[in-house]
Amino acid sequence: MPRTGRYAPRVAAASVVLLLALLPSACGGGAGSPADPATTGRAGWDEVLGQARGQTVRFWMFGGDERLNAYVEDEVEPALDRLGVRLERVPVSDTADAVRRVVAERRAGKTAGGGVDLLWVNGENFASGKEVGLWLEDWSRSLPNSRRFVDWNDPSIATDFGVDVDDQESPWQRAAFVYAYDRSRIKEPPDSFDALLAHARRHPGRVTYPAPPDFTGSAFVRQVVAEKGEDQAFAFLRELNPYLYRKGEVFPKSQAELDQLFGDGLIDFAMAYDANFVDAAVGKGLFAPSARPFLIGGGALTNVSYVTIPANAAHVAGAMVLADLLLEPRLQARKADPSVLGNPTVLEVSRLGEQRRLFSRTAVTRSEYVLRSLGSPVSELAAADVAPLEQRWRREVLR
Amino acid sequence: MLFGGALAGAVRTSVTRLDAGGETLTLEAWRRLLRDPAFADAVLFSVRIAVLATACSAAVALLIALTLRRRGTSLRALAALPVPVPHLLVAVVAVLWLAPGGVADRLLGGLPVDVVRDRAGIGIVLVYVYKEAPFLALLLLAAMGRGMHEREEAAAVLGATWWQRLRWVVWPTVRGPLVVGCIVVAAFVLGAFEVPLAVGPNTPLTIAEYAQQATQDDLLAGEGLQAAALLVAAAASILLAVAAVRLAKDPQGD
Amino acid sequence: MTERSASRRVLAPALALAMALPLGVMVMRAFADAWRAPAVIPQGWGLRGLREALSGMALDALANSLVVAVVVTTAAVALAWPAARALGERRVRHPALPFLLLALPLLVPSYATGTGLTPWFLRLGLADTLAGLVLAHLVIVLPYVTVVLLSAFGPPVTALEEMARSQGLTTAQRLRWVTLPAVGPSLAAAVLLGFLVSWSEYGSSLAVGGGRPMLPLVLLPFVRSDPQVASALSLLFLAPAAAALVLAARAARSPL
Repeated sequence: MPRTGRYAPRVAAASVVLLLALLPSACGGGAGSPADPATTGRAGWDEVLGQARGQTVRFWMFGGDERLNAYVEDEVEPALDRLGVRLERVPVSDTADAVRRVVAERRAGKTAGGGVDLLWVNGENFASGKEVGLWLEDWSRSLPNSRRFVDWNDPSIATDFGVDVDDQESPWQRAAFVYAYDRSRIKEPPDSFDALLAHARRHPGRVTYPAPPDFTGSAFVRQVVAEKGEDQAFAFLRELNPYLYRKGEVFPKSQAELDQLFGDGLIDFAMAYDANFVDAAVGKGLFAPSARPFLIGGGALTNVSYVTIPANAAHVAGAMVLADLLLEPRLQARKADPSVLGNPTVLEVSRLGEQRRLFSRTAVTRSEYVLRSLGSPVSELAAADVAPLEQRWRREVLR
Repeated sequence: MLFGGALAGAVRTSVTRLDAGGETLTLEAWRRLLRDPAFADAVLFSVRIAVLATACSAAVALLIALTLRRRGTSLRALAALPVPVPHLLVAVVAVLWLAPGGVADRLLGGLPVDVVRDRAGIGIVLVYVYKEAPFLALLLLAAMGRGMHEREEAAAVLGATWWQRLRWVVWPTVRGPLVVGCIVVAAFVLGAFEVPLAVGPNTPLTIAEYAQQATQDDLLAGEGLQAAALLVAAAASILLAVAAVRLAKDPQGD
Repeated sequence: MTERSASRRVLAPALALAMALPLGVMVMRAFADAWRAPAVIPQGWGLRGLREALSGMALDALANSLVVAVVVTTAAVALAWPAARALGERRVRHPALPFLLLALPLLVPSYATGTGLTPWFLRLGLADTLAGLVLAHLVIVLPYVTVVLLSAFGPPVTALEEMARSQGLTTAQRLRWVTLPAVGPSLAAAVLLGFLVSWSEYGSSLAVGGGRPMLPLVLLPFVRSDPQVASALSLLFLAPAAAALVLAARAARSPL
């Protein structure tokens, strides 16, 4: 273990104490409940760890990704166990299910002892929740690993879909929107949206995308909008429509359906908001081994996904410990390993010092199913713009 | 009693919206819902599907029940196998078989008719019939006990034809459970979204899908829309139930 | 007459197989590591799906769902029996209203019921408790059981019971030898239905289950994202359900 490792925890604890001591005392949890983060934070990370000991953290996250489940159960859970905290993974089929639970608790007036301790949340839902004060405040930046390794000056981390993170959520995964094609059928995939349109013209019925408000379809539309501007984008989509699979009268309703069509060879391209999705799909037998990822446009649409703690969570200390643990370099490196998840890290590698070695291994384990470079990242639109875009798509593109 | 509370809760959700201060009373959800032409389409589509699916299921159920009534457990269990399968799984199996690229497509080299994601909703009806006909058949078989068998025998001895036996012995016995079963099936079809999600068209949507999409767009505002839409579905179910009961003229137990 | 019996002899098994066979594709999918068009049989076989299906959480979920379903079904039958009896034997003066009230939950989409119940459960402190979960399931299961059971009771059954009582049989004996055989088939159907509804319940298990693993909660996330694992988990899910079906079919057949 590197020498810095011995001192690092003490330095971290000291800086946390120092930092939190400087926080204005008015900064408290929105609910003013017994689990007031300001008081627990000010006491120092050691006290948080002490409070967390013996707690069971209920972590609500999407349950349909076998590899992610395995990662959480085989890597994260034992690590949390060593800190004396139990992890209870609550699988949901839609991340919004967890948010719905928190909303229901708020409607019922439940301000403490909530059933969700930590949840994996996307930009839109974070924004809605923040508006009504669903999330715990003033905790994420002060996590030890967050302070040391996360670059909060990076706008892709400091804002989530254009909404200020504001210390209410902690980054976990980096997502990039990539496409897939089958090497045995297509020699040269389109590198721009106009090229995609040309391809669709030459091969009608071989291109499609999921219908918004599906998460993937929505992201596709957003990428087109980010590149062309809203009105041009919709003109483009309307122009593309007649050449789509089933003449644009029928769209897949989910990414899974799109994957199935691509895997069965009925369409030429698949897409997903996951840099590693081709690898995962080939592993599941959904895609032929000749599938390869590619980018459209100068770079991939990217965003960072976060974990957040509801303001009324029952085990705030445990949740904070878990959120911090998710940022542990060793665990982030395991996550970035293509054989595990292949998910790019949210940590700033230049700050890792000796631990940078952990990530060099993942660079070596290259896979033809994961792109080496994601181009110049395209940042996401503002959360408030997403729903209107989806509705506009339904009005103007879906016949 | 608890259910009453649940219903009240649903009504409440449809007229309130969660915001920073707590819940505020608003009819915004209902206004948006009733003004949206897509919702009107959804209601018509859903009702049409429900009636079609229920009628076909009932017909097939009668066929199954009449055919299997003197047969043993194993055949009955086989025929009823779709019953324990949740609707979502049945829909997945249907997609595996009937979608472009599905097993049927691979075996036959192409299907003549589009049954998955077709605008008429044939796929949806087929899946529901596959799942609900055995369920209704179970109910019917439960009612067709020995008592009915004896009465049928008596009628046959008295010279009644097959059709007369059906009309005067079988039908009165099964009418009650069949009507009740049909009401349950129709109500379920009106309110569920998994099957249309798997095999239904992108437009028109069913009421339940519309409700679910509302929360995908914007969780907080969508909750109200969702609750309102589902209440409309419930109202439609109730209307259909009342109509069915009237038509069948006082089934047993009412 | 013989002509019809001959064709009916074939029709019955054919019909039964027609219903059951399409589900066989699920068995194939569960063991297929890869099954893409245009292959009619899978390109590769494997146990990946099975491994996930037999993992710790899945088996925990199986046990939990089983316990809850059995408890809920038993409670539902116990509660439904008197109500069904009263309505079925026409002892109630104006049966329409109670019937409608009883059947009402069936007419409201279960998702609405689930979301409507959650705030109450939260307020009553029942959320995230086993009792709360059982109660939530019960609210949904009870109407189904009552409605199915209700069609079993009626004047013929009452008459039989009267006859038995006049013959000097005790209540227990009447129950065993007269009532149960008479309502047997419907009772079996009601129990089966109740069990299946609880067994498949997703919405309320998620809302008030408090993170307790239940089989539908573990299964559903995989259904669209990973067909092989979903198929394997489905087999795990269907085994007890199909067993219940067979038991009910046998029970519905035997007495009389």
